[in-house]
Amino acid sequence: MKRPLLVSIAAIVFLALLGMAFGDHEAGVGDLLRWWWHPDAVDPMTLTVLVDFRLPRIALAGLVGASLALAGAITQAVMRNPLAEPGILGLNSGAALAAMVAIVMIGGNSSFYLSWAGTAGALAMVGLVYAIAWRDGISTTQLILVGIGLSTLAGAFITVISIIGNVRDVQRALIWLNGSLYDATWAKVYGLAVWMILPVGLAMLLSRELDLLRYGEDTARSLGQKAHIVRSGLIILCAMLSGAAISATGIVGFVGLIGPHLARATVGHGHARLLPVAALFGAVLVMAADFIGRTIIAPAQIPAGLMTAILGTPYFAYLLWKGRNAVV
Amino acid sequence: MIALPSQSDIQRAGLAADRIKTSVLVALVLMLPAIALWSIMQGKLAITPGDVVSAHLAFDGSRIHVIVQTIRVPRVLAGLLAGAALAVAGAIMQAMTNNPLASPGLFGVNAGAAFAVVMAMSVLGVDASAAYVWYAFAGAALAGAAVLALGTTGKTGPGPARLALAGAVITAFLTALTTSVLIFDVALLDHLRLWTAGSLGGRSMPTIAPVMPYIVIGLLAAFFVRHQVMTLSLGIDTARSLGQSPLLWRGLCGVIVVLLAGGAVSIAGPVGFVGLVVPHIVRMLVGVDYRWIIPFSAVAGALLLVVADAVGRSALEGVDVPVGVTMAFVGAPFFLYLARYRLGRSP
Repeated sequence: MKRPLLVSIAAIVFLALLGMAFGDHEAGVGDLLRWWWHPDAVDPMTLTVLVDFRLPRIALAGLVGASLALAGAITQAVMRNPLAEPGILGLNSGAALAAMVAIVMIGGNSSFYLSWAGTAGALAMVGLVYAIAWRDGISTTQLILVGIGLSTLAGAFITVISIIGNVRDVQRALIWLNGSLYDATWAKVYGLAVWMILPVGLAMLLSRELDLLRYGEDTARSLGQKAHIVRSGLIILCAMLSGAAISATGIVGFVGLIGPHLARATVGHGHARLLPVAALFGAVLVMAADFIGRTIIAPAQIPAGLMTAILGTPYFAYLLWKGRNAVV
Repeated sequence: MIALPSQSDIQRAGLAADRIKTSVLVALVLMLPAIALWSIMQGKLAITPGDVVSAHLAFDGSRIHVIVQTIRVPRVLAGLLAGAALAVAGAIMQAMTNNPLASPGLFGVNAGAAFAVVMAMSVLGVDASAAYVWYAFAGAALAGAAVLALGTTGKTGPGPARLALAGAVITAFLTALTTSVLIFDVALLDHLRLWTAGSLGGRSMPTIAPVMPYIVIGLLAAFFVRHQVMTLSLGIDTARSLGQSPLLWRGLCGVIVVLLAGGAVSIAGPVGFVGLVVPHIVRMLVGVDYRWIIPFSAVAGALLLVVADAVGRSALEGVDVPVGVTMAFVGAPFFLYLARYRLGRSP
């Protein structure tokens, strides 16, 4: 337990230092330390770059990664399927569509407002997915297929909005949609951090319930769990986490799949240990994706969402391949 | 005494059914020019049937004639070709995999072709459709093979969800790569923005003409092997016991799918759902016989895509909705219906 925690924290610190040091402007942590001791020795430009651009970006990447990975861990437990991922269930595209509507149609700007929109969209999507897939119970096959279908439909709506909307709003929305941390601000960081307190806290408190879910509905019920209520509550938490993360940065896919998987491989199935490690791994993933995306072909930037998709899909394919002898 | 139907009665009934199907097919084929003409007339500028005829018989260089010849007609022709190609590709894929969700869009074939075309244009600077259609073929073949490899191997066999997941994953990967390439190539992005959503807008004769032979060859080949496709659809064991070499015919059908889907993507972009929806609707009408499904799919696919495109460009004032989006609005609900009612349930 301690090792993975320490390693991921070290990785986060390392990535933060790297993220501070690289970019168009010559600056690094050294400048920040120097400013601490001698406020006059550092020019204001460098300070602005570090404090107002790079730091919030790093912090936001970490928070988004953590909440997406938590959402993924919860989804996998609730669906009892290692391939479950908020994106596959249509959560991501629901949040994206709602936020797109908020940006382009209503002109919403504040990040708190977008968090609500994203969460509402994600929740509506989960509700719809379950409603359509439900036929005297839920089968995973149906859930996955309905999720894929509804994601496509939401994608079509997004395209229509991007065609009919005001070009400036649409451009902003499209950059955001691909999962960009480009315009990270402290306001966004605080907004997301405050928003996350409740669902993260509840998820940690419910870690025993998550463990029970793994044994199946009947076992969980016989051990005193009100399975339906717990499940619905957990899915709402999940929508809160991924909805808010997506409204902050756009679609950053596959973190919700990879983070929990790697965590399970290192610390096992107990959620009290799994959840924090998954969150830290998720943070590392998005921070690394963003760092690679913005430095690999600088000055151009690849949005973090594209980087996680390019890195994450092969991993997903690997899981699919590895599980080829099991029932989906 | 109950009179059992004799052998000749059954044959006669079968022949009568065949005759009905043939006449419906002929009627649909005859509808094609009418629908094409109607579609040519739709759009911002009102065009009468007389304009369309005179633009070809007595071209006088007027604005209307130029629009008919260089914009509307190529667009409708592209729709007819792409629609027929995608629908037949979907039908053959459904027969090959025995999977109701098989279609070039869902199984990553379209995304593979689109990625290859974008790479060819951006990295290699290929800009003639005669050249990039080959990249489209290669991309379609590789992506399709990858999805099949991921989705069908293993002891439990190809469950519909497993193949759909494999298709979704490969599509997500290729789409992310395509978007990354386009982010850095702003000129190309501007050029291809609608194409990547699946669009018939801005097609010109020089881009369609070089691709047309491949699609026509693919459609003809599909028509001639329809008996073999029927046998394939019975499953590998039955096909083998009927004396069919599964490897040979699967391979050949794969080549036809690649020709059709790759060709369609090079002229219309990755349009989804045509290959899923059309064969299913056709199957509801004519039954499970692929000897009929294939020709019906070709005609119905062409009709559907042309109508969807005409609706997309005239439904909203001054907005040209890409046909890929219109098809998603038609196809996604249909897909949901299939997912809910038509697929075997697994725990």
